[in-house]
Amino acid sequence: MRKYFSNIWLTITTLLTGMRVTLGHVLRIRKGFVTLQYPVERWPRPERNIGFSEDSYNVIRSRLTVDMDDCIGCLKCERACPVSCIKIETEKVEKGEDILEANHRGVTSQGTQKRLLVTRFDIDMTECCYCNLCTYPCPEECIFMTGGPNSDKHGLDYEFSEYDRNDMIFRFAKVPEDIVASYKDKKVKVETSRTEADEGAES
Amino acid sequence: MVNYFLDIFANVSWLAAMPSGTQFVLAALMTGLPLFLFVAINALIAVYAERKISAFMQDRLGPMGQGVGLHAGKWGLLQTLADALKLILKQDIIPALADRKLFILAPFIIFIAAFVAIAAMPFNQHILAADFNIGVFFILAVGSVGVIGIIMAGYSSNNKWSLYGAMRSAAQIISYEIPAALSILTVIMLTGSLQMQEIIKAQSGTIWGILPNWFIFNNPFTFLAFFLFFISGVAETNRTPFDLPEAESELVAGFHTEYSGMRWAFFFLSEYANVFIVSGITAVAFLGGWQSPISGYLDGPIWGLVWFFGKVSFLILVMMWFRWTFPRLRTDQLMRMGWKYFLPASLVNILGVGLWDLVVN
Repeated sequence: MRKYFSNIWLTITTLLTGMRVTLGHVLRIRKGFVTLQYPVERWPRPERNIGFSEDSYNVIRSRLTVDMDDCIGCLKCERACPVSCIKIETEKVEKGEDILEANHRGVTSQGTQKRLLVTRFDIDMTECCYCNLCTYPCPEECIFMTGGPNSDKHGLDYEFSEYDRNDMIFRFAKVPEDIVASYKDKKVKVETSRTEADEGAES
Repeated sequence: MVNYFLDIFANVSWLAAMPSGTQFVLAALMTGLPLFLFVAINALIAVYAERKISAFMQDRLGPMGQGVGLHAGKWGLLQTLADALKLILKQDIIPALADRKLFILAPFIIFIAAFVAIAAMPFNQHILAADFNIGVFFILAVGSVGVIGIIMAGYSSNNKWSLYGAMRSAAQIISYEIPAALSILTVIMLTGSLQMQEIIKAQSGTIWGILPNWFIFNNPFTFLAFFLFFISGVAETNRTPFDLPEAESELVAGFHTEYSGMRWAFFFLSEYANVFIVSGITAVAFLGGWQSPISGYLDGPIWGLVWFFGKVSFLILVMMWFRWTFPRLRTDQLMRMGWKYFLPASLVNILGVGLWDLVVN
């Protein structure tokens, strides 16, 4: 009989203890909630340092970016890429020719003459393994990872999420379609005239 | 309210010309539709409150609207509305081996059992769908019809989890119906009436000039009866810590495992309607219904609504507080609590209230 009533007492006191705990959390909610409202609030970014003492090697592995004004279309980065996520197509232009519609100036910032118009420069960031191997061979230092030592060129971008998978393919070459088409036409004409000349020479 | 509308109809000539059956149906619809709307809005607000309170108890923020584009509004206020829209648009799935007729019928029976009980709920001095002279008995009787719906849902789903949930629910509701009825009997002994308005009117005035003359403060036995009734009520609504019929961690979702979309929404709607009813009866029987806490002060019909909804919301909040604090009971613990603690206590209460009534009054 005593056990019966002590059980009731124990139940009531322990229930009240539990309810006091939860009520305390409700009343203190503004001080200690753990939810991070992501797009508006973010965790602080870690320091831009992956452990090297020399600053130029502290390359943060983030999104690849290409400075198309400086790209000469040498394909070195495409060849360096171990997963083939870089796709480049070029068209030949006259030496030093400016194609302003395609934002193509004949000389890079390092003074190199551009001889190719880069009509396609796509990086598939879903395939990219962030190995950073493409940035070292670049003669013009125009392909780089955002942030870190390059933060003066391009701000850090590490959360490039998209709704559509196709939007993860970043297309850097902004050449209008008609210019690409005109260069392709010219090429075809040159080739056909060349073959005609060859045929003429043969006969 | 039905009688009130019928009186109005009798005074309007073109309405009075209609057959009395049509008049009655029209009056019942005019009473019932706002009540249905009320049940739906009650569920919307209660779900939002529940999500927010549970979040606060767990140091989270709950539904929040942030950023641009599709989001749930300031403080996530549109979250439940979006959920309701989602439930309406969802595919209606009926399992191939289910007992189709019972499967389709079950959610409606549960909802009707919850909905009809609101008919006897006095919102203030005048707003009351039907002032039965057996109001309390009606609510208790209709409320336990819901268990038939739960058993139908569990049986017709042709699923072991559903059947387990339904069997547990039957055992639970029958066990807790008895202490609930016995503890509300103490109030009926003191008022001598089953009519809801009579019970509320009996609680006017004050005790020793300070406390309102509510039955919870009337004597120590009714004070105990308040807790017994309220906890039994929580058990009857199948909410945590008494949510064995739908125990997520053991029975998937219990008796509504196989339901989806709008059919499931009816279970949800009736759960919150039941929550409202249990809180409503507790407020009416023990906390003075629409009576002002300071007797004779702020006592008009509009203030009556405010007091009634204030008391009911407080009790609903307490139920949510229970839900997010206590872990679920085991079946044997539930039965032991019902039969070995609540039933003797409520019987002792009846004896005590009888003696108190004889000696003190």
